[in-house]
Amino acid sequence: MSDTNPERTGGGSERTDGGTEVGSEVVSGGHTDDHDHDHGHDFPGTGSIKRWFVTTNHKDVGILYIVTSLFFLVLGGVLAWLMRIQLWAPRAPTETILAPVAYNQAVSAHGLLMVFWFLSPFAFGFANYVVPLQLGAKDLAFPRLNALSYWLYLFSGILFGVSFFQGGTFSGGWTMYAPLNVPTFTPDVGASTAVLALVLFVASVTVSSVNFLTTMHRMRAEGLTLRNMPLFSWTILLTVWMMLFAFAALLAALMVLSADRLLGTTYFAMESPAGALLWTHLFWFFGHPEVYIVFFPALGVMAEVFQTFTGRRIVGRKWFIIAMVLVAIQSFVVWMHHMFLTSINLQVKTLFMITTIGISLPFDLMVFALIYTMLKGKIRFTTPFLFVFGALLLFIIGGITGVFLGAVVLDYEFRGTYWVVAHFHYVMVGGVTALVGGLYYWFPKITGRMYDEFLGKVHFAAYFVGFNLLYFPLFVAWETPRRVFDYAPELAPWHQLATIGGFVLGLSFLIMFYNLFKSAFTGDPVSDNPWEYATTAEWAVSSPPPLENFEGTPTYRDGHLSFILDRESDATGGATAADGSGGATADGGVATSPHTAVTTEYEPTVEATEVEGPSHASIWPFVLSLGAFLILLGISPLQDTAFPEGMMGAAYATTAVAGFGVTLGSLIAMGLEPFHGPVFDEGEAWPFSGIDNGKVGMWIFLASDVVLFGGFLGAYIFTRFAFGWTGWQPVPDDPIPGLVNTYILLTSSFTVVLALVAAEKKHKLGLVTSLGATFVLGIGFLVNKALEWQHLFHEGLWLSTNVRTSTFFLTTGLHAAHVIAGLIVALYLTARAWRGAYLEDSRSVEYFGLYWHFVDIVWLFLFPLFYIL
Amino acid sequence: MVSTKFYTAIYVVLFVSATIQVLVEFAGLAYWAAFGIIIVLSAAKAVLVAAYFQHLRWEPRSLTYLVGIGLVAALALTVAASYSLL
Ligand code: HEM
Ligand SMILES: [Cu+2]
Repeated sequence: MSDTNPERTGGGSERTDGGTEVGSEVVSGGHTDDHDHDHGHDFPGTGSIKRWFVTTNHKDVGILYIVTSLFFLVLGGVLAWLMRIQLWAPRAPTETILAPVAYNQAVSAHGLLMVFWFLSPFAFGFANYVVPLQLGAKDLAFPRLNALSYWLYLFSGILFGVSFFQGGTFSGGWTMYAPLNVPTFTPDVGASTAVLALVLFVASVTVSSVNFLTTMHRMRAEGLTLRNMPLFSWTILLTVWMMLFAFAALLAALMVLSADRLLGTTYFAMESPAGALLWTHLFWFFGHPEVYIVFFPALGVMAEVFQTFTGRRIVGRKWFIIAMVLVAIQSFVVWMHHMFLTSINLQVKTLFMITTIGISLPFDLMVFALIYTMLKGKIRFTTPFLFVFGALLLFIIGGITGVFLGAVVLDYEFRGTYWVVAHFHYVMVGGVTALVGGLYYWFPKITGRMYDEFLGKVHFAAYFVGFNLLYFPLFVAWETPRRVFDYAPELAPWHQLATIGGFVLGLSFLIMFYNLFKSAFTGDPVSDNPWEYATTAEWAVSSPPPLENFEGTPTYRDGHLSFILDRESDATGGATAADGSGGATADGGVATSPHTAVTTEYEPTVEATEVEGPSHASIWPFVLSLGAFLILLGISPLQDTAFPEGMMGAAYATTAVAGFGVTLGSLIAMGLEPFHGPVFDEGEAWPFSGIDNGKVGMWIFLASDVVLFGGFLGAYIFTRFAFGWTGWQPVPDDPIPGLVNTYILLTSSFTVVLALVAAEKKHKLGLVTSLGATFVLGIGFLVNKALEWQHLFHEGLWLSTNVRTSTFFLTTGLHAAHVIAGLIVALYLTARAWRGAYLEDSRSVEYFGLYWHFVDIVWLFLFPLFYIL
Repeated sequence: MVSTKFYTAIYVVLFVSATIQVLVEFAGLAYWAAFGIIIVLSAAKAVLVAAYFQHLRWEPRSLTYLVGIGLVAALALTVAASYSLL
C-alpha cells in the first residue's frame, strides 16, 4: 500500500499545461486544509501515510484497490509458478517437488486468490476511480461505506494469507465441492479460515454493490440518462446488479459451509441426502454469474478503448447494451451446465444446455460490434489498444471452446480435464488482458503522467506470446486430468511449453511494474485528455482530477458535458464529453480551454461551499474491518461449537471477543461521527428518482438479503425434498412457542410503525416509548427462543444431531442473528431519541423500520416451514 | 399518510391470521390442503407487512420490483434445484 504514496504525490507535483492550479493534487491538498478549519476533520495530503488509512474519496479508494489487487496477482502468480514447475514432468506422489497436499493447496489458493482477490478488485479499482467521473458525481453515494468495502477486502485477503499458517489452507479446489469441503476431509484450521476469509470478502462485495447501485442509479448528472451512459459505466452497472444477487447466494453457501465446519451442522456431510448436490447448486447459482461479473468490466474497458483508439463510436451501441442486459439476466439461468456430470435429471440438463446456447448468442453480437467498430475506424496502435485487441482474440478462442463444454455429450468427455482449464483461462485471463489495457489507458489520468509507450509495447508482446504459450498447449494436452500432477508421459512436451509460457507471462509483468513505477515519477506530464478522441467525462477534468472531481455541477442537458456554476452566465464552456453524442468529433483542444476558464471562475465557489462541504476522512471503516477480521480469525478453530483445549483455544477466544468489542465500538463511533456525504442536485435518477439515497440503499441491501434467506430456505427445501418431504417432521414438536414468537415479532413491527408515526408528529415521548417497546419485545423473542432451544438441547437435539435439526437451528439461528443486529440498532436509536434525536429528521427510524419489518416477514415464512408443516 | 387506527387494523389482521395458521394445522386437514392454506396465509401476511408497514404501497413501484427480482431469483434457485432431483 505504501508505494502508492510517492506515485500519487509525484503525479500531482508539477504541471505544465498552464495555470489551472485547482486541477493539481497540490492545490486539492489546499482545499482540504480548509476542511480542517471547517470540520475538524483532518484530511492529509496524498504524501502522508495517514491519508490512505482515513480516506473515503473514491479516487483514493480506487488506487488502493488497484495496488492491493496487483499484490494478490503476484501472490496468485507465484502459486501458479509452483504448480507449473511441478507439472514440468508427470510425477508419482512420491517424487513431487511440492508435497501432494501442498500442491492441492496451491491449486485451490491460486484459483480463489485470482478470481476473488485479484480479478474483480482490480476491475473495481477502475470502477471506483472512473465511474463517478463518468456519471458526473463528486463521489459515491456512501463514501465511508466505500472505504469500508476496501478495508473489508484487504482484511479478507490478509485472513486468507493467515490460513496458510494454520496447518495449511483449503485444499479442495476453488469450487470447494462437498463433501471435500467439510472437516472430515479438510481438517486443517486454515481450511476454515479460508472459508471465513471468503465470507468477509463477500461482505465487502455486498457493501460495494449497494453503494455502486445507489450511486449509479441516483447520482447521474442531469441529461445523463442510462441510454447515454458510457459503456464502461454500463458494464459496471450490470456487474454490480449481478454481484448483488449472485454473491448473496454465495454468502448463503459459505455461511452454511462455515456452520458445517465450525458448528457441526451436517448439510454437506456424506450421509446427508443430496449434500454434495446442494453445494453445487448453491455454488454455481453464484458461479456462473460470477464469470460474467469478472468479465463484464473487462468488456467495458474493451469498449472504451476501442472507441478511443478507433476514433469512432461503437457500432450498434444500443444493441450492444441490450445484449449485455440480456446476458446479465440469462447468466442466472445457466448454472447447471457446470453440473452435467452430477445426478441431476436429463430433462434439466437438456434445458440448461439450451439456455447455455442462448447465452452465447448475445455474446456473438458484442464480438461483432467490436470487430466492426475496428474495421470502420482508424486504428491507433497504442499499448492500451494492443492489450484490448489481444483480449478480444483470446476471448473469441475462449468462447468457442466454451460452447463445446456447453453440449452435454461433449462435456461428458471434457469435464475434469485440461480442456476446461484452458477454456476458462482463455476467457478469464483474456479479461485480465483487457483490464491491463485499462491500466495503461487510465494511468495518465490517475497519475498525471504518461507511461513509456515503447516499454508498454514490449510488455504486450511478451505478455501475448507468454499467454498463448502457456494456455494453448493445454488444449492440445487436454487429456491431462484437472488438478492432478500426474499425467500421460507423452503429454510432457506440451506441459513444458506451458511452463515456459507461464514464466514468460509472469515475467512480462516486471516490465509493466518497472514502466509504471518509473513513469509515475518521471513520465511526461499529460493534459486533461492525452488520448484525443477520448470522449467520456473523466477526460474533461485535469489529470489527476481535483478532490471533488468537477468545478461546478456537471450537466448534459444540451447533449454534451458542461458545467453549471453558481452564476449561470459562466456556464458557457462545453467540454465535449458526452458519450454517445460526442463521438469522433471531440478533440482535446476544445476540452481544455473552456474548462480552464471555468476553473478560474470557480475559485470563489470553492470557498463558499466549503462551509457545508462534504467530508473525506474517517478512520472507522478501517477499524471496523479490523474488528471483523479479529472476530473471524478468533472463531476459525471452532469445531462442533467448541474452541480447542488449552492456551491456543483461549488465545483464539480472546481474539474473537476483542474483535466483537472493536466492531461494536467502531460501529457506534461511525454512527456518531459527523460525516457529510457528497452534495448533489438530483439529475437523472431513473428508476429511483425522488427516493432518498439512504432508502434506496436500504432496499437494495434488503433485496440481497432476500436472496441470502432464499438460499437458506432453498437449501432447507431442497434437502427436505431429497429426504422425502412428508417423512420429515418439524423439529419442535409443539408449534405454540413459535406462535408466541410470531405474536411478539408482529407486535414489535407494530411498535416500530408507531415510533415512526410519533417521530413524524415530533412526539418525543411516543418515539422513545415505542422504540423502547420494540427493544423489549425483541429481547422477549430471543429469550423465548433460548428457552425453546434449551429444551430441545436437553432432548438431545442439537446442530449436529442430523440434517433435519441442522436446518432448523441454522436457519432460525440466522434469523435470530438478524434480530440481534436489529436490537443493537434499536438500542442505539432509543438512546439517541432519548436525547432528542429524530424529531426533525426521522429517516433513521424509517430505515430501521424497513429492516425490522423485513426480519418480521422472514419469520412469517420460517414459522410455518419449521414449526407447523 | 395513514392513521394509527389503520395500522392497528393491519396489525390485528396479521395477528389473527397467524393464529389461524396454527388452527388449520390442528384441524386435521389433509397435509397438502393444510400446506396450501398455511403458505398462502404467510404470503398474504408478508404482502400486508411490505405494503403497509414498509409502505411500499405508497412508494414508486421500482422498489417493489427490486425486491421482486430478489424473490424471483431465490425461487428460481429453489424450484430448479428441487426439480433437478426428480
Ligand atoms: C461464451 C460463452 C461460454 C460458454 C458457452 C461457457 C461454457 C462453460 C461450461 C459448459 C463450463 C463447464 C465445463 C465443465 O466443467 O465441464 C465452463 C467452465 C468454466 N467457464 Fe465458461 N463458458 C463461457 C464463457 C465463460 C466466461 C466469459 C468465463 C469467465 C470470464 C468463463 C469461465 C469459466 C470457468 C471459470 C469455468 C470453470 C469452472 C470450474 O472451475 O469448474 N466461461 N464454461
Ligand atoms: Cu458457467
